[in-house]
Amino acid sequence: MNEQIRNRLLLGVALVLAAIYLFPLYWMYVTALKTGSAMFATPPKFLPSDPQWSIYAHVWESRNMGRYLWNSLVIAVGAVSLIAVLGVGCAYVLARYRNVWVDVGLFLILMLQVLPASLMITPIFVGFSQIGLLETPRFAVVLAIAAKSMPFFVVLVRAAFMSVPMELEEAALVDGNSRIGAFFNIVLPLARNGILVSAILIFMQAFGEFVYSKSMIQAVELQPASVGLNTFMGPNTNEWNNIMAYATIYVTPVLAAFVLLQRRIVAGLTSGALK
Amino acid sequence: MKKILSSVTDGKGFDIGLVLLPLAFLFVLSGLPLVYNVVMSFQEVDMFSLGSFARPFVGFKNYVDLFSQPETGPILFNTALFVSASIVGQFVIGFGLALFFWTNFPGASWLRGLFLVSWVMPGLVVGAIWNWILSGDFGVLNFFLREMAIINANIFWRSDPNYSLWAVIIANIWLGTSFNMILLSVGLSGIPKDLYEAAELDGATMLQRFFTITLPMMRSTIGAIVALGLIFTLQQFDLFAGITSGGPNNSSNVTQYWAWDLSFRQYDFAKGATISVIMIVFVMLASVVYVRSTRHEVRG
Repeated sequence: MNEQIRNRLLLGVALVLAAIYLFPLYWMYVTALKTGSAMFATPPKFLPSDPQWSIYAHVWESRNMGRYLWNSLVIAVGAVSLIAVLGVGCAYVLARYRNVWVDVGLFLILMLQVLPASLMITPIFVGFSQIGLLETPRFAVVLAIAAKSMPFFVVLVRAAFMSVPMELEEAALVDGNSRIGAFFNIVLPLARNGILVSAILIFMQAFGEFVYSKSMIQAVELQPASVGLNTFMGPNTNEWNNIMAYATIYVTPVLAAFVLLQRRIVAGLTSGALK
Repeated sequence: MKKILSSVTDGKGFDIGLVLLPLAFLFVLSGLPLVYNVVMSFQEVDMFSLGSFARPFVGFKNYVDLFSQPETGPILFNTALFVSASIVGQFVIGFGLALFFWTNFPGASWLRGLFLVSWVMPGLVVGAIWNWILSGDFGVLNFFLREMAIINANIFWRSDPNYSLWAVIIANIWLGTSFNMILLSVGLSGIPKDLYEAAELDGATMLQRFFTITLPMMRSTIGAIVALGLIFTLQQFDLFAGITSGGPNNSSNVTQYWAWDLSFRQYDFAKGATISVIMIVFVMLASVVYVRSTRHEVRG
């Protein structure tokens, strides 16, 4: 009985803490629904009295969000595919062996993971413009994101491969599988969940990527939603309800995916980042 | 030829191929730009020489020019302040939350995971939301502070040079706290429970248990998290673009934003590269600390 009261109390405190922490998100959703005057009311209203549901359609149309989100999707899918194709094999080998070379490889990968994108963009931009890659700016951004995020992906997926018992692969080899066969039939299916979660994390990052896209994509028709949001927010803007509606449309799919897969994402993240 | 082929499908060659391809990719797209960055920091690069490889070398001129600019000192100071305040804020709040959720009640792990939404959101959206929350006349943060009688006049977070950097720091603390908390939770759950039971039998108070068991057991985790925090705060760019754009008058500018601003706003690519080189050296040192503190875990 005592235990139960304690648990209820703790849960109550936890809910309050979560409410405080997630207030900025709530404020985004509420502001989007406010009218122009309700937005600037003092004291601010915490529940919209007259929710403007039509704002989403309005912002979607007027800011051409379909095109922006499509570009974000193209960039994110491209980056994730490239990273997955290259990174899975790399992570597998780094998980399978223990020697000096593996340590050196891991060290190099961890070092590449930490380079800030806003510092790397200068040489990448100049180099890409010299070899003509900026003619296809979305592809250039995909390459840059892939180079930036692959180390993180490799570290996460390596942890997933480490949890696959080596004996299973050896048994498959004894049964007459080739290395390729054992890899595709045994190891890959067993590590599938870890790989998927890591890919989703990378996808979320790439979907919101800003520095590379802002610097390399000049043509408005090819810019992703993050750059679109940036151009929407002028220095002295007062269209906050429209901006928050834009932000809502942009992040809600990401948030929904996160809440659904939360347990797995958190587990995958913690197993790779620290363990 | 056949031997090589069979090695690739069925032997060592398979592993080597799997590793070398991505490493080559990373070398071309991360390694070469790193080197190129250093080269450019010793060259004269402007809009006209951007397309050619044969640019005049100027020795250390870029470095000398950079440090003789009046804004360099304040921006370096801002960077140090931004990094240390963010790390302290994220760590303290994150540790507090991690300790609270560690008490383990039904629903704790699910609620704890929910905090991580701040981390998966696009940085620019976080910037936009905080830009609005921190707005001077109509910002909801000013409203709360007024209601709690902490301030009696509105703070113009984004346009007052005394507060503009703090505006970004507040947003960055919010953004990074959840990640700190999750990693600290992992560290906490690794401490054997019987240590606490033994200490409790010996009559240690809660505070004593915290300082003699929790903190010492968490030493390597804390080291890794502080190093990771340093790495992540030095990568923070989107919040600056979303909230203050480094202004007003560089009062909230930090090196990672300044480097981009010099290259892509003022088209001074050589200067941008020069700052990048300095900061990258710095980040690399931090990451050596990080790798060292997780090394035994990396080896698994």
